[in-house]
Amino acid sequence: MDTYLQFVILGLGLGAVYVALGNGLVLVYRATGIINFAQGAMAMWGAYVFAQLRLDGSLVLPVGRIQLGAGPTSVAVSLVVALLTAVALGLLAHYLVFRPVRHAPALAQVVVSVALMLSLQALVVIRFGPNNISVESIIEPGSIDLFGVTVSSRELKMVGVMLVLSVLVWAYFRFTRAGVATRAAAENERGATLRGFSPDRLAALALVMANVVGTVGVILASSLTGLNPSNYTLLVVPALAVLLVARMESIGTVFVASLALGAFQSVINLLVLKPWWPTWAQSGIEQVVPFLVVVVILFAFGSRLPSRGSLQTIPLPDVHIPRLRPVAGTVVLAVTVVLLVVTRDAYRFGLTYSIILTLVALSYVVITGYLGQISLAQTAFAGAAGFTLSKVTTDWDMPFLLAVLLCSVVAALLGMIVALPAFRIRGAQLAIVTIAASLAIERFVFNNYSLTPPSGNPIADPHLFGMNLAVREGATLSRLSFSLMVLVVVTLVIVAFVRLASGDTGRAFLAVRANERAAASVGIDVRQTKLIGFGVSAFIAGLAGCLIGYSAGQLSAESFSVFVGLQILAVTYLGGITSWGGAAVAGVIGPLGIIYVLFHDLFEMGDYYALVSGLALILTAILNPVGIAGATRSQIDWVRRRIGGGRSPAARESAGAAADDAPIDLREVSDVH
Amino acid sequence: MSTDAPMGAHGGLRAERLTVRYGGVTANADVDLDVRPGEIVGLIGPNGAGKTTFVDAVTGFTRSEGSVTLDGERIDALRPHERRRRGLSRTWQSGELFGNLTVRENVAVATRPGGVGTLFRDIFWPRRRSDGSVDRALSLVGLGDEADRLARDLSLGQQKLVGVARALVGTCKLLLLDEPAAGLDSAESLEFATRLRTIVREQGAGALLIDHDMSLVLGVCDRVFVLEFGKLIFSGTPDEARTDQAVVAAYLGVPMENADA
Repeated sequence: MDTYLQFVILGLGLGAVYVALGNGLVLVYRATGIINFAQGAMAMWGAYVFAQLRLDGSLVLPVGRIQLGAGPTSVAVSLVVALLTAVALGLLAHYLVFRPVRHAPALAQVVVSVALMLSLQALVVIRFGPNNISVESIIEPGSIDLFGVTVSSRELKMVGVMLVLSVLVWAYFRFTRAGVATRAAAENERGATLRGFSPDRLAALALVMANVVGTVGVILASSLTGLNPSNYTLLVVPALAVLLVARMESIGTVFVASLALGAFQSVINLLVLKPWWPTWAQSGIEQVVPFLVVVVILFAFGSRLPSRGSLQTIPLPDVHIPRLRPVAGTVVLAVTVVLLVVTRDAYRFGLTYSIILTLVALSYVVITGYLGQISLAQTAFAGAAGFTLSKVTTDWDMPFLLAVLLCSVVAALLGMIVALPAFRIRGAQLAIVTIAASLAIERFVFNNYSLTPPSGNPIADPHLFGMNLAVREGATLSRLSFSLMVLVVVTLVIVAFVRLASGDTGRAFLAVRANERAAASVGIDVRQTKLIGFGVSAFIAGLAGCLIGYSAGQLSAESFSVFVGLQILAVTYLGGITSWGGAAVAGVIGPLGIIYVLFHDLFEMGDYYALVSGLALILTAILNPVGIAGATRSQIDWVRRRIGGGRSPAARESAGAAADDAPIDLREVSDVH
Repeated sequence: MSTDAPMGAHGGLRAERLTVRYGGVTANADVDLDVRPGEIVGLIGPNGAGKTTFVDAVTGFTRSEGSVTLDGERIDALRPHERRRRGLSRTWQSGELFGNLTVRENVAVATRPGGVGTLFRDIFWPRRRSDGSVDRALSLVGLGDEADRLARDLSLGQQKLVGVARALVGTCKLLLLDEPAAGLDSAESLEFATRLRTIVREQGAGALLIDHDMSLVLGVCDRVFVLEFGKLIFSGTPDEARTDQAVVAAYLGVPMENADA
């Protein structure tokens, strides 16, 4: 029993970070209606600034640095400077990133905050390095007696600090005029304006407060765990679970649920060491917990969660129904083949990887562009297929084509399971569920040593009709036959996609995307349509996962991490999330694709790739929601109009202007029972 | 015509003791209403009387108690799309079109709503989608020329007519029209009444018409039901409705006698 209490107390340290980030999420959501996926990354920046000041007294800025003293700066000065940095970052985030998308559709808001998260994480890696740095504690380590058990006092003090801050945030909402106006603005922006507050300033204030509270939390916690660019970025996922538990509004619930979750995760880590706990379920189980919490909450209360986003009816980027163009298609194919033939090694591999990434991006096009569901779990589906591929090709010797099909079906089934929460929720809340699922799968399956040995999961080379389709042979790093096989597979999938998108299925997807209850009223089975959409999209992602597996000869968890998934979503949005052309652009510029290889080899700027793609994504989401492919098409249409004077299908791109003057329809959009 | 027929088993729609509660508010209380094939029935009542709630309940978009039968089959446990596929169609007060689809696609989607079979057919055996029924429905509502425009570019009045066309295609045994004529001027409204008559005659379907335009409802309907505060206060012919004390009281200020067009 003593050990349990000690672990509960240890878990409160983690819980305190969730309190900090959860407070921030509530503040930002209530002031802007945006779920800020970048909350953890934003708070992490200030914590890094603090740590660096304590290390050598230099204040690191995004560009350049200022030496504040000869040696380490004092705790007080460091803390003040770090919190001022947090204030500045909150203001910047508001005016440069969130304000421009305040009336944009949920997808653009999710994309923007994910892009901010990726950019900040990349910037931290560039400015502070990718490795864990240890941080000196502000709070003296110590121990006290609690119910006769000696427990660590530091975590309890952290909880105390967070309690004070939570009370302050609660009091802000409850007693200050600005806070009350923020609550009013959440209901009705005009209401707040009438009270003499600009919703815009309230939002700026909320972002600043959110980031200050978050930064304090991360600074305190970093002394327990050290600072690490990816861990703290992803701590936002459990905090998002807490946000849902708190029904996006209750600070009190945030406080209690955060501590409970932290304590529970800590105790789970103790339980898995017990002899009766199955070995295969030891690793990553603490990440499964937030996911289960989210799912249970959504199933219990899904329809009652406030869904401010659904009041906004400004549409997603429009869809241009694709047609098969044999001539143009053949030309593109021929050019691709020529490029694959003339390149070799790293460049051919980059090209091939781009073609594979096109598939992952296409899976986003299906699920998000056509069906309007935000899924952040596509690489988890891809990874599940790759993982299965390793098992069936090495343990069962299953032949190439059959293995690929079977593994993609496995991915499709997994996709359909993840689709279940989408029956109840949509928009940014679905994004929370899918990112939690993705993280759970990553930690529980891909990083689980009893399922995925450290030696890796080898994948047997593909053979078909006596042809060797392996990616490597001897000194050849990238064989042409492998690249051509990839090209054939991807071409077939694109043809199938075009047929589906231009057929009855695509039309039903678009109807569900546009208006779920109207879709039900014309006889569309909305749930079945979502299942089909998730299934198809996960199947495509699964195919990509198999090809990624073959391209490496083994399965590596890094290829399928949550961050890779978010990066591919980013480039897909950049390319244009509603067309296969956009998916192809995404493939070209995606991580490990050909542009990435060029970045790496020619400019030696591999580190900057993530930052540049993150920033480009923020710009795209704000300025040009139809993406590169869509913008190119409207330019082609414009030229055609000028030359031919004939009618063009440009009308469909007109929603590119997600402009403020579009009518905002305030009618209730109710759930379909 | 046959208002005094026995309430026995017959075709069409029948709602019995339909009750809808939102929290503590009873939006529909024990409403009994029936619509027979080939008949146009009006449902009127002041604002907030529960007319749209009734349509939502019958079509499955809101939880209700009581029974709903279509052609003798109980359908109150079915989900909305299943009721639609059995022939119970509705339109929406606010149009609710798929703004990013063309008018023709808006209607066509109701003829082939997708599914697993459709998915494989689309991929392996794609077919051209020229179906005469879509264009027929569009010309029935007088929008044949607008077929290739984007739905969101139409006026609200036109959007509602697209909604009617969308409800007509495929299997349509009974049509529930939620304020289809709001947004039309009186000439267009009259034209709509004529079209509605034609549609009901040609398709042999029944129709339940909700509208604020008294002249439209009393002029085109065979029978009229009146709701007030969620309760049915009257059912009978339009002529009886004009002289009924309770109806006149509910519509105090609305000159029922002058409403006859």
